[in-house]
Amino acid sequence: MPTLPRSRRLRRYAPVAALTSCVLLTTAACGGAADKPAAGTDKLALAVLGAPNSFEVTQLSDGQPAYIWNSVYDTLLYTDNKGQLQPNAAESWGYTDGGRTLTLKLRTGMKFSNGHGVNAAGVKASLDYVRTTPGSQQNSLDAIDAIEAPDDTTVVLKLKHPDASLLPSLSMGAGAIADPETMKDPSAALNPIGSGPYILDKAATVNGSSYLLKKRDDYWNAAAYPFETVEVKVMGDRTAAVNALQDGQLNAGTVESTQVDQVKGAGFDVTVVPATSVGTLVLADRDGSVVKPLSDVRVRQAINMAFDRQKMVSQFLRGVGRPTAQIVNPKSAEYDPALDTAYPFDPAAAKKLLADAGYADGFSVTMPSLYYTKPFEPTIGQALKDIGIEVTWEPVPAQNNSIALTSGKYGMYFTADGLNAVPNDAKKYFSPQGIRNPFHTQNPEISGLLLEASGEQDPAKATDAFKKINTYGTQNAWYAPVFYIGSSWVTKKGITYLGDGSSTLTTIRAFGTAS
Amino acid sequence: MISYVLRRLGGALLLTVLVTLITFLLLSTSFDSVAASRLGNSATPEAVTAMKEQLGFDRPVLVQYFDWLSHVVRGDLGVSLFTSEPVDQAVSSRLSVTLSVITAALLCTAVASVALGVLAAWRGGVIDRVAQGASLVGFLIPSLLIAIVLVYVLAIKTSILPATGYTPLADDPGQWLKSITIPVIALSLHGMASLTSQIRGRMIDELRKDYVRTLRTRGIRTRSIVLRHALRNAAGPALTVLSMEFIAMFGGALIIEKVFALPGFGSYAFDSSLQGDIPVIMGVTLFAVLLVVGVNLIVDLLNGWLNPKARIH
Repeated sequence: MPTLPRSRRLRRYAPVAALTSCVLLTTAACGGAADKPAAGTDKLALAVLGAPNSFEVTQLSDGQPAYIWNSVYDTLLYTDNKGQLQPNAAESWGYTDGGRTLTLKLRTGMKFSNGHGVNAAGVKASLDYVRTTPGSQQNSLDAIDAIEAPDDTTVVLKLKHPDASLLPSLSMGAGAIADPETMKDPSAALNPIGSGPYILDKAATVNGSSYLLKKRDDYWNAAAYPFETVEVKVMGDRTAAVNALQDGQLNAGTVESTQVDQVKGAGFDVTVVPATSVGTLVLADRDGSVVKPLSDVRVRQAINMAFDRQKMVSQFLRGVGRPTAQIVNPKSAEYDPALDTAYPFDPAAAKKLLADAGYADGFSVTMPSLYYTKPFEPTIGQALKDIGIEVTWEPVPAQNNSIALTSGKYGMYFTADGLNAVPNDAKKYFSPQGIRNPFHTQNPEISGLLLEASGEQDPAKATDAFKKINTYGTQNAWYAPVFYIGSSWVTKKGITYLGDGSSTLTTIRAFGTAS
Repeated sequence: MISYVLRRLGGALLLTVLVTLITFLLLSTSFDSVAASRLGNSATPEAVTAMKEQLGFDRPVLVQYFDWLSHVVRGDLGVSLFTSEPVDQAVSSRLSVTLSVITAALLCTAVASVALGVLAAWRGGVIDRVAQGASLVGFLIPSLLIAIVLVYVLAIKTSILPATGYTPLADDPGQWLKSITIPVIALSLHGMASLTSQIRGRMIDELRKDYVRTLRTRGIRTRSIVLRHALRNAAGPALTVLSMEFIAMFGGALIIEKVFALPGFGSYAFDSSLQGDIPVIMGVTLFAVLLVVGVNLIVDLLNGWLNPKARIH
C-alpha cells in the first residue's frame, strides 16, 4: 500500500485537527492548578453585593460599599463590634450647652495617604463640604449650624438643636475625613485620598468589579487591621460568590441560607447574624391624604395583624431571620421583646378592627412594585386581601425605586432597611424630614418624645427615651414590620467574623484572624 | 462595492442616531429619579430641581440629545453620573472583557461546527450520527447547566480552572485562557449545535448538486470538492447564523458575566440601567448598535466575497 506524502496525510486529518484545536483552546488551561490567593491570614478576600458609586466624600454610601471606602478614609468615631461608639480619628468628644455644642479632640500624627497632615482645619473643611453638598450624607449633618477649629486638634460643632443621631453618623460616611486639598478634585471620585488604614491600589482595581486595598505602614492604628491586603470583589450573584469561596478565590462573604450546608461541608465557618435589616410595610400616610383609611390607627393595627410573620420567616428567609413588629436592632438596648408579640396573626380580629373603623367592606390601595419586593408581593397582597384590603401593585422602574418611596405618592409600601443605630433609625422613621416619613407626619406626642430623646445627655435616660419612641411607633402602628432579615457570614480557616449583629456597620474590622 | 459599503455605513449611521435618540427619549422620563438618586437622602423637591439644573436636565430633551451627539462626534461620551468614570474608558474596558469571551466562543463555535458539520455530511455513518446527537444535546441541555457542572468539576473539585473572575490577556495570557475557558464553553454550546446542523444540512445539499458530479467526473479529489467548492457555497448561510449567534451571545453575555463574576459589558449595562446612569446607558447603547451593525456589515461583505452571486453592485 503506497504511503501518502506527509503533507497529504496531514490534510486528510485537517477537519479532525480543526476540531482538536478548538477543544485545545478551551482546555489548554487544564494543565495545572489555577492560581489562588494566599490561604494565609495576610489577605482578606471578601465578596460584597454592591460597589461604591463614588469615593468622593460627599457621595459615600453606607452599607456594603463601606467595606471599601471605610478602609481608605478614617471616620471621626468608630462603632465597635458590640455596637459601642469608640474613639477613632477623634480620641475624645463631649457635649456641652445642653447638647448644642459637640467638641471633638483629634489625635495627633495622622496623615493622609498623600503625606498631608490631618488637622482640625482640614476636618472642618471636610465636614463643611459634606454638609453643604447635596448627597447621601448631607442629611446626617443637617443639625450642624457651624463648625469651628480653634486649634490644630480641636473641632467644635455648633448645632441648631440637639441631635442624638449625630455621633453614630460620625462613625459612618458622614464622619469620613478627606484631604481638603484634593477632596474637590474630579479624580477624588475614583482615586480617594484618605487617612485610613489602606490605600486603594488603582492599578489592580477594576471600578465596580474588584478593589484591591494595601495596608499603610504608617497608619496610627495598624494593629487593629491584621490583613496586609484586602481584596473586595463585587458579586451580585450569590452562586458565583459561593463558587469563588469554594474555589479559594475568596475567604469571606455572605451566602444564602440554602447554601450554608454546602459551604459548611466544604470546611468553612459560618456565623449567622440573626438581624441585619428589617422588612417593613411602611404605613406612611398617617394623616390619610392619599389613603384615607390609614389615618385611623385601628386600620394600621389591623394591617399589623394580617401577617403570619413566623410563616413568612420560614418561607422567605428559611430561618435566617425572625419575626418582629418593631424597627430597632434586636441587639440594641432599646429593643423590647414584648413588642414583637404586640400583633399576633389574627385575620378575624383584624377584620373586626377594620369594621370598627368603618371599613367593614375593606378598601383598595395601590402599592409600588419594586425590583426587590417582587418575591414578597403575592404573600403580602394575599394577607391583606384576607382581611379585606385589595392591593394593586404598580410597577416602578428600577431607577425610580428611591424616589417612588419618598414622593408621597404611595400611602403604604413595603421595603427592607438596614438596621442602624437607634437614634438614626428613629430620625429616619419619626422625624418630619425622615425618608421613611414621606408624608411628614408629626404630632405633639412624637415631637415631644424626639425632643426628649435628642436632648438627653445621660446615656441611660436617652435609651429610655428612645425605648418610648420605639414603643410609640409599634403601638400606634406607624408601620407594620414583618421580619428581621439575617446574614450568614462564611469565613475560611484562619479568618473569623467578629460581628454578632450589635453593630451593623460595614467595616473590615468585623474580620479578624483566628489564633 | 465601495458605494455599497458607503451606503451601508450611511444606513448604519442613521440607525445609530435613531436608536440613541429613542433611548434618550425613553430615558428622559427618568430625569427626576436620576437627580434624586444622585442626591440620596437629601432629595428634597427643591434639591432635585437644583440637581436637574446642575445636570442640564431642565433643558428641552432634543437640545440635550443633540448636545450629547455633538460631544460624541468629538469623541466625548461624558462621565458616569454616579462614579465620575469617563464613559468611553469604562465601556471600552468592559467591552474588551465581553468581546474576548464572545470572540473565543465564536471561534470555537465556527471551528467545531465546520469540522463536525463537514465530516458528518462527507463521511456520514457513525460520524454523522455523533454530530446529530451532539447537536441535539447542545440544543436540549441548557448551557448554564453545563457551565455549573464544569465549575464544580474543573474549579471546585479539581482546582484546574478558576470558578469566577477575569484576567486580562495583556496581564497573563495563561491566566486569561483559564479565566475564559468555562464561560466560552457555556456560550459556545448552543451555537455549535445550531451551526453544526446548518452546515451539515447545507453540505449534504451541496454534495448532491450537479456541479459536484461534474467535478468528480473531471477527476477532482473529493477533499478538494468538499473543502474548496461545496464548503464555500455552504458557508454563506452559516456565516449569517454565526452573526446571529454573535448578537445572541452579546445579548446573553449578562447572564454569563453574572454567573462567572466577569467585569463585562452586559453586567455594566445592567447595573447602569438600574441606577439610571444616563451617560453610561447612552454610551452602552452607542457601542452596542455600532457593534451589531459592524458585525452585520462584515458578514455581508464576507458573503459577497464567498459567493459572487450575493454581491450587490
